[in-house]
Amino acid sequence: MKVFICNGTPQCFFTAVFDAYRETECIISSASVQIPLGGTVETVFADLEKSRRVQAKINAYDGEAVDDISLVLRSCSPLKEQVAFEYIKEIMRRKTAVKKAFNLPQVVDFNDLLYKITGETHQFKGFIRFMECANGVLYAPYSPDNNITDLLMPHFAARLGELKFVIHDVKRGIAGIHNGKEWILGYAGATEIMLSDDERGFGTLWKKYYKSVNVSERPHERQMKRSMPVRYWKFLPEKQN
Amino acid sequence: MLNAEKLEILTESAKYDVSCSSSGSNRVNGHGGLGNASVGGICHSFTPDGRCISLLKILMSNECVFDCEYCPNRRNADVRRASITPEEICELVMGFYKRNYIEGLFLSSAVFKSPDATMELLCETVRKLRQEYKFNGYIHLKGIPHADEALVFKAAKLVDRMSYNVELPSERSLKMLAPQKTKSSLLLPMKDLRDAIIYDKENKVRRNRTLPAGQTTQMIIGASSETDGQILKLSEALYRSMNLRRVYYSSYIPVVQSEKLPAVGAGLLREHRLYQADWLIRYYGFDVDEIVGEGENLSPEYDPKCAWALRNMHLFPVEINKVPLNVLLRVPGIGAKSAYKIIEARRFAPLDFDNLAKMRVVLKRARHFITCKGKFYGSEGLTQIRTSLLLAGQSEVSEQMSMFSESSVALSALTGEV
Repeated sequence: MKVFICNGTPQCFFTAVFDAYRETECIISSASVQIPLGGTVETVFADLEKSRRVQAKINAYDGEAVDDISLVLRSCSPLKEQVAFEYIKEIMRRKTAVKKAFNLPQVVDFNDLLYKITGETHQFKGFIRFMECANGVLYAPYSPDNNITDLLMPHFAARLGELKFVIHDVKRGIAGIHNGKEWILGYAGATEIMLSDDERGFGTLWKKYYKSVNVSERPHERQMKRSMPVRYWKFLPEKQN
Repeated sequence: MLNAEKLEILTESAKYDVSCSSSGSNRVNGHGGLGNASVGGICHSFTPDGRCISLLKILMSNECVFDCEYCPNRRNADVRRASITPEEICELVMGFYKRNYIEGLFLSSAVFKSPDATMELLCETVRKLRQEYKFNGYIHLKGIPHADEALVFKAAKLVDRMSYNVELPSERSLKMLAPQKTKSSLLLPMKDLRDAIIYDKENKVRRNRTLPAGQTTQMIIGASSETDGQILKLSEALYRSMNLRRVYYSSYIPVVQSEKLPAVGAGLLREHRLYQADWLIRYYGFDVDEIVGEGENLSPEYDPKCAWALRNMHLFPVEINKVPLNVLLRVPGIGAKSAYKIIEARRFAPLDFDNLAKMRVVLKRARHFITCKGKFYGSEGLTQIRTSLLLAGQSEVSEQMSMFSESSVALSALTGEV
C-alpha cells in the first residue's frame, strides 16, 4: 500500500489525487500517519498541470464539487484528504454529482466534514467578540476548530462598513485584516493591544445584560452547552468571571 | 455611558418576551453605515436557560399605566422603575453591535403617560438609530395597543419586524387579566400592517419597505383556562388571516401573586407540545382538527405527530421508497431534513433499513410506521407500539420521579429505563 503525503494545500491534494488514482489501495494525508506494514511513502509536490486536469475532470461531472472539496480541505480532521479522495472516486465511478446520494457512506463522511465547516462558520458569525483598541481598530481573537478565518471576513466586511478590524485565529497564527475598504489574510503571532477607554465599560454592561436576560425559573444548561460549546467560551466576555 | 443598574432593571422587565429571532430580513448596509441583516438570523450567545441572545432586548421604560394582572411591571406592582432616553439606547446599540455582541435591537416599552406618547418615543428612537446613527442592523419593535396608526406606520417603515402580543388566547381572558387591552386594540393594527406589507409587495416597493421580516405575536399559556385545541385554532387563524411569521407561546410562570392567576406554572412540556403542533401546522401540512379537537388538550405522553399516527394506524405502514413527500412528512420521527434526505437518496438506489440508519434518520419512532423494500421492522400490535413509543419519548420529558408521578412516568419504573 502506498501513502501519499501532501503539504495541506488544495493544489498539492489534487496532484496527489492524480498520482494516486490508479493505485488499488492507497492513503492520502497531510497529517502524520502510521505507515502500514509493507507500505511505501511518497511525498507529493504540487504540480499545477496535474491539479488543473483533476479539477477539470471533476468539474465535467459536478460543477460544485471542487468548491465543496476546497471547503472540506480546511477541516481539522486528519482524515480530510482521504475522505475527499473517496468522494472524488465516487463521482468518477458514477460520472455524475453524488452530493445528494445520502445513502453512500463516502458521501455521508464528506458531507459531515462539509457541514462542520459551514456550521462553524455560521456559529462564529455570532460568537466572534471584538474589542475596541485605543486607535479605534476592532480586534477579535478566537480559536476555531477549522481554518475558517477567510470565510468570515466577507460577512464582517459587509457588516462593519468603514470600521477597521482584525480577526485573529490564535491557534493557527492567521489573521484577517480589514482596513475600512478591503481585506487581506496574513500571518500573525502574539499580539499586544491597548484597549480604548470605553471598552471596559461596554464589557461590564454586556455581562450585566447577559446575567439579567436569563430566566432563572427555567434552567436548561444542557441546551446552552449544546448550542454554545464550552471550548468556545474562552473568548466570550460574558463567560469570564 | 449608561448606568448598569438601569440596564439591569429594563432588561429584567423585558426578558419574559420570548421572541428573539433575527431572521427574515435582508437589509443591506449603506454608505458610511453600520450593520446589515442576515436572512437566516444569527445567534450571538446563549443563556443558562437555553435561550439564545440575538437581539438586545430592552424596555424604554417600565413605568406603566396599564394594570395587566400577570405582568411584573403593572401599575400597582412594587418594583424598581427606570426609563432610558433615545440617545442612551442608540449609544448602547452601536457599542454592542460593533463588538458583535448582538444582531440588533428588540425595543419594547411599558405604557407611560399615554399609548401615543409611548409610541412616539419608540418611533423617535428607531428614527434616530436609522437616520442619525446610520444603523442598518435588525430592529424588532413592539407595538403599543391604542397608539395612533400614523405613528405605527411611520415606525413600520423603519424597522424590520413588529409585533403586537395577543397576550391571552381568548377575549374573555383578556378582559379579566388585561383590562386596558382589548381584542380590537391588538388585532386592528396587526391588520393594518398586514395590508401595508401586502401593498408594498404588490407594488414592488424597493426602498424603505414596510416590515421586511413581517409580524409575530405571543401568548401566555396556562394563565387562563383555554384548551390547547382553542389555542391552536387561534394560531392557525392568525397565520392564515394575518400572515404572521411566528406565534410564540410562553408557558406561564407565577412571578406575580394574584387571586385571578393560578399559583403554579404551566410547565415546559405543554409549551413544548404546542410548539411541536405549531410546526406541524406550518411545515408539515397538518390541520388543527387533525391534531387536536377544539375542547381537548395535547397528549403529554406522545408528541402530536405520534398521537395522530396512533389514531390513524390504518394509513401505516408506508413504503419509504415510494410515497410522496407529503406522506413522508407525516411519519412520526421523520422531520423535514430526513424527508429531504430520503427523497434525494432514493433517486440513486432503493433504500433499506440499514441505509436509513446510516443516513442518520432517527428510527426509534419511525420504524413502526414504515417499510423498506417491503420489509417491516417495527413492533407487532398496537399495544407494543404504544409502549415503545412511550419509551422513545422518555428522553424529552425526563424528570425526577415522585410518589405521585403520572402513569407514563411510572412506566419507566417498571421497565427500568430512565
